[in-house]
Amino acid sequence: MTIFSTIGDIVSSGVPIGCLYALVAVSFNILYRPTKVFNFAQGDMVMVGAMTAATLLGFKWAPWPIAVLLAMLLVGALCLVEEQIAVRPVLERAGNTWVITTLAVALIIDNVVGKIWGADPLIVPAPFALSTEPISVLGLQISPYQLALIVLTFVLVGAAEALYSTRTGKAIKAIAEHRDAALLRGIDPVFVNRCSFFVGGCFAALTGYLASPLIYASTAMASGLLLKGFAAAAVGGVGSSRGALAAGLVIGIAEATGAELLSGGYQQAVVLAVALALLLARPAGLFGQAQTRIV
Amino acid sequence: MAELKKTPESASFKVQAPAFPTMIVAMLVLAILAAPLFSRSSFILYLATQAGIYMIVALGLNFITGYAGQISVGHGALVAIGAYALAIAETSGGLSFWSGAVIAMAAASGIGALMALPALRLSNWYFALITLFFAQVVSDLLGEMTWLTGGFTGIAGIPAPSLFGHALGDSEMYALIVGTVVIAGALLRNLIHSRLGRAMVAARDNPLAAAASGISLVRVKMIAFVISAMLAGLAGALFAAQKTVISTDDFGVDFSIFFLLIIVVGGEGRLLGPIVGTLIFFLVPELLGALETWRVLVYGVALLALMLFAPHGVVGAIEDRWRRRPRVGRPSQGVSLVRADGASLEVGGLKKGFGGVIALDSVNLDIPAGSVHGLVGPNGSGKTTLLNMISGFYPIDAGSVRLGHVDLAGRWAHQVARLGVGRTFQTPKLLGQMSVLDNVLLGGYPGERANLIDVALRLPRGRREAARLRDIAMHLLDFVGLADRAGDRAGALPHGQQRLAEIARTLLSRPRLLLLDEPAAGLSMRELDTLGALIRAISALGTTILIVEHHLELIADVCQSVTVLNRGRILFVGTPAEAFAHPEVVEVYLGRASGARV
Repeated sequence: MTIFSTIGDIVSSGVPIGCLYALVAVSFNILYRPTKVFNFAQGDMVMVGAMTAATLLGFKWAPWPIAVLLAMLLVGALCLVEEQIAVRPVLERAGNTWVITTLAVALIIDNVVGKIWGADPLIVPAPFALSTEPISVLGLQISPYQLALIVLTFVLVGAAEALYSTRTGKAIKAIAEHRDAALLRGIDPVFVNRCSFFVGGCFAALTGYLASPLIYASTAMASGLLLKGFAAAAVGGVGSSRGALAAGLVIGIAEATGAELLSGGYQQAVVLAVALALLLARPAGLFGQAQTRIV
Repeated sequence: MAELKKTPESASFKVQAPAFPTMIVAMLVLAILAAPLFSRSSFILYLATQAGIYMIVALGLNFITGYAGQISVGHGALVAIGAYALAIAETSGGLSFWSGAVIAMAAASGIGALMALPALRLSNWYFALITLFFAQVVSDLLGEMTWLTGGFTGIAGIPAPSLFGHALGDSEMYALIVGTVVIAGALLRNLIHSRLGRAMVAARDNPLAAAASGISLVRVKMIAFVISAMLAGLAGALFAAQKTVISTDDFGVDFSIFFLLIIVVGGEGRLLGPIVGTLIFFLVPELLGALETWRVLVYGVALLALMLFAPHGVVGAIEDRWRRRPRVGRPSQGVSLVRADGASLEVGGLKKGFGGVIALDSVNLDIPAGSVHGLVGPNGSGKTTLLNMISGFYPIDAGSVRLGHVDLAGRWAHQVARLGVGRTFQTPKLLGQMSVLDNVLLGGYPGERANLIDVALRLPRGRREAARLRDIAMHLLDFVGLADRAGDRAGALPHGQQRLAEIARTLLSRPRLLLLDEPAAGLSMRELDTLGALIRAISALGTTILIVEHHLELIADVCQSVTVLNRGRILFVGTPAEAFAHPEVVEVYLGRASGARV
């Protein structure tokens, strides 16, 4: 019985949190697909989304959908500013300069947001007044909100997959493969990059809002979500939405297992070890394709 | 070597590259480093000691990040591992500082290597994120594993290093650290100017050129990382010995970011960058103290602004202003180009598909050793794909590729290169920031035998080999007609000359088979003539040559036989004259209504 209840605890805490990591990974992928830039400030974008939504909800003058929409627009705009200042000027430079510039943006946002909101976490109620109290479902202790989050994650990942298999989605991928050729076919890479940053920012803010009822909205959430979202994206295969979902769940379960069997302080170590082992076995990730066109 | 021009001067050939008055700078640095010894203030000595320790970390970080292009955001964690390893070895293990320092270096590089191995096989940015993750995990574990690290109280009573029973005092400790900085700097400088340094820059700026030159990217990056991590571990040991008490407070997450900022300020990929960067940080104390609560914000803004406006930092800005064209001598006469051992190439039933599109279907080639073979066909017929499969850049779906008796299928590009397959690219892949001579020297990588110790300590074996290789490289540049541009930046050469330099690079490894991908594209009429003569001269040295080319006159001029590809299949094999007279070949080239002229 105990072993089953342990496994049950791991699943019921690991799967919902794994869904959050999958969503962060999808938001990474949205930016990555056309630009091949992996935004180091993405964890902060998620955090700013969560904090903004929490603050707007706290004022109680707008229903939650409006507050969430405003937070998404704000973070989308913030991503656009980042693209303008820190990404486009260095995109063509050799040596992945963008690693350092987006890292710098992360440091700046982290510090400024810390000054505005302070370190105290904000409590955010779940939408539709869903309960975050666990109930027993098929022997698992899981809350209605967690169930809803799992379903929504599958819907969002499915939508992302569907979008990227359309003509527009393929055009976005074409830019990553060959910017000049895409330009010749009437696709404007700069415009597509901007759109992707905006949409990626909106998605990050939504993820932040969805995460808040489970892990509170706080400035501390940025680095954890950055690293575990990265682990999910890399293990799943960068650019692949279904890979992000599968790997997000793997990472979430690994983390819950670490917390259950060892202690909270070992969670991140377990996640890193699992991610490194999987990357050693499959460098391109679970659903990634080895790069074919080189020369 | 009848084709080779005889060089008039016999003066022994030497590259002098005083891009900056090195002696003056070295004396200046030594003077600055020695100054605190004469200061009366123990606080200044303390700060200077700390600065020296940071310089050791920054020198190592610049090695992996500035030169090998792998951005580490986790060097602070490696320092922490070194510091705790020393503290535990000394306080619990009762070992001396010196044994403890060796353990610290082993711990930092060993644990670091475990973390880095998966990352180094992937794109550069994975490494940055994994090191950031690593820094976070190390910080977690230091707090969690209290039985080992003492948690927040830390480890106290770390004894100072002692020499022959005499415990080192403050100024002796400082002298030890300055000595370490100077020695580490000198060793790194030697490595940077060696085959390893060239390979690191190639891995950073042009991985394809590196692989084509026989360089294993993972191996080179790993060597660079381990050296860098050893320095971080050593700095950690010195850090612990200087402070005598260490705790988790000493190693916050922004500790790693701080080192990254030091090298960006000083100049990434510049020898003196880490030294200058650290000095700036300690001479501008506001950045460290007064703005405490805004420190991370200042770091962020500074990183962003520097990357945008001064990507090579302070040292880069000064050096670029001072840069003079290095003088390069003529090759000495004692050396002549050695014949290559040409090998036959047999390709059988080769297939390649890209997601449903068949790029190559049952392609066969049979090229005898020492011959020159042309591969022609319209755009998209699969010529470059075939070259990429022979040279190991694309995996083979089905079929065989044999070089002499050696099976090439399933090998990595750098392994194929090491077996004797040289190649050039449609657009020349040179390292634009390096000199033309250094670019050619890159091609010598697989043949060099000097090990890390030989080059780091400049032992005679390594120096002799390097001098001999430079001599051959100069001969090769003379051979392709670029001897007087040897000292120029490769990026500054016109297109046609870049192509010739790339060919010279492949020749340094004496390839058994040379693959040329559209060598004539974009050449002027005069350069075309030179190219034709050059190909014949290379062939006379024994190398087997396969040329992909649209310029049919060149093919007719130099090739004994040609293969015509069309839509991934072989259309015709024969002599150039037969091929270009064949009606089907004419048709695919000129279309059905063949009113056009060749």
